[in-house]
Amino acid sequence: MKRVIVLVVLVLIAVVSSVITPLVISIEVPRYLKDLSRYYIINTIKDTASPEAVAAIVWDYRGLDTVYETLVLYLAIVGGLTIFMYTGELARKTPVGLTLLSRTATKIITVLISTVSAAIAFHGHLTPGGGFPGGSALAVATMLIIPVFSINTLLEKGVTSTKLVAIRGVSLTGLGLVALLPVIRGLEIVTNQRFYPGYLDGFILSGSISLYNLLEFLAVASGFTAVALYLSIPEEYYKGGDNA
Amino acid sequence: MIKYIVVGLLVFLVYMVFVGSLSLYTVLTGLLVSFILSAVSAKYLVVDEKKLLDAGRLLYMVYYFFKYITIIEIKAHMDVVKRIINMDINPGIVKVPVNVKSRYARLLVMGSITNTPGTVVVDERNDYFYVNWISVTTKEPVKARKEISEEFEYYAYKIFE
Repeated sequence: MKRVIVLVVLVLIAVVSSVITPLVISIEVPRYLKDLSRYYIINTIKDTASPEAVAAIVWDYRGLDTVYETLVLYLAIVGGLTIFMYTGELARKTPVGLTLLSRTATKIITVLISTVSAAIAFHGHLTPGGGFPGGSALAVATMLIIPVFSINTLLEKGVTSTKLVAIRGVSLTGLGLVALLPVIRGLEIVTNQRFYPGYLDGFILSGSISLYNLLEFLAVASGFTAVALYLSIPEEYYKGGDNA
Repeated sequence: MIKYIVVGLLVFLVYMVFVGSLSLYTVLTGLLVSFILSAVSAKYLVVDEKKLLDAGRLLYMVYYFFKYITIIEIKAHMDVVKRIINMDINPGIVKVPVNVKSRYARLLVMGSITNTPGTVVVDERNDYFYVNWISVTTKEPVKARKEISEEFEYYAYKIFE
């Protein structure tokens, strides 16, 4: 009986609130476009050769902001890595990890996440997504491996933070070069269409946008994975001089 | 060799379905991604590649997939819906023996048990699953297996063992 009363009360609340809410809170539907949005909608494809207005704003119209933002994130990660720097050898304990079932499922899921992350990154200039979301998704795949298998499994397969920081460094150097190259021709820094080809043999490349996305993808994935690796080092390793 | 092709093909399929476009750009990047991922991951995913070429296993898998998402799932859903309305529940964790040995077969059994409403595998230890069951009718491991996972194990055996 008590259950029925609770159920009736819940249904009543749902019905009443759905009737009252629209009366109390009026949701304004915009009836016209602001000039700025109208500009982007009409001109993005002409200006940047990218059908994705958000990617165009992030990497072209406001490209310089994004390059600086990437730099800031890079410095933040470098700072984090400096604090968590551990040069000693991690004791190779037998990997423990979760049950065989979890490990089998994680193997499959890791491959699927990597596939989807690559798709997000490669189509960043065409559909919502891009380098940062793609890279974060790929980092999730490696972050899954750490609890399910163990940090040693990653290290034994050669995924070390030294290599990851190197990949990150190379990708960010590439990103910087893509931004700087137009200067050689006397154009402004982070120029897109006047320097990079928007179309190639019918492919939409959106000039530098696809390059930025690819490099950002690698940089974010390797950077976040490096951080995850460092954060998984047990804290007793940091105490004392030698290996704990 | 076969395992690399099969894993690459599956990755390519997932990539194409996720993007949802057949443009040449998507196909080319998809080929690149599937090539890299199959080179890296196939050796961890496939242990016995002879099984990949077994058409019988594939047919069983397709048949089981459709049987699972239609008959088995609907039956389990209806059962749980009835139990929710009548509050006819007797929850508890039972020990269920698993007879299949290979890891994919066990994963399939575990996934099948967990995906059907009313039963969730909470742990795996020494060839036993510990299943949280909405209406415990028996605590006998062998009888519980008959009610919970016998059918799943039959197909898992045919597909993966």
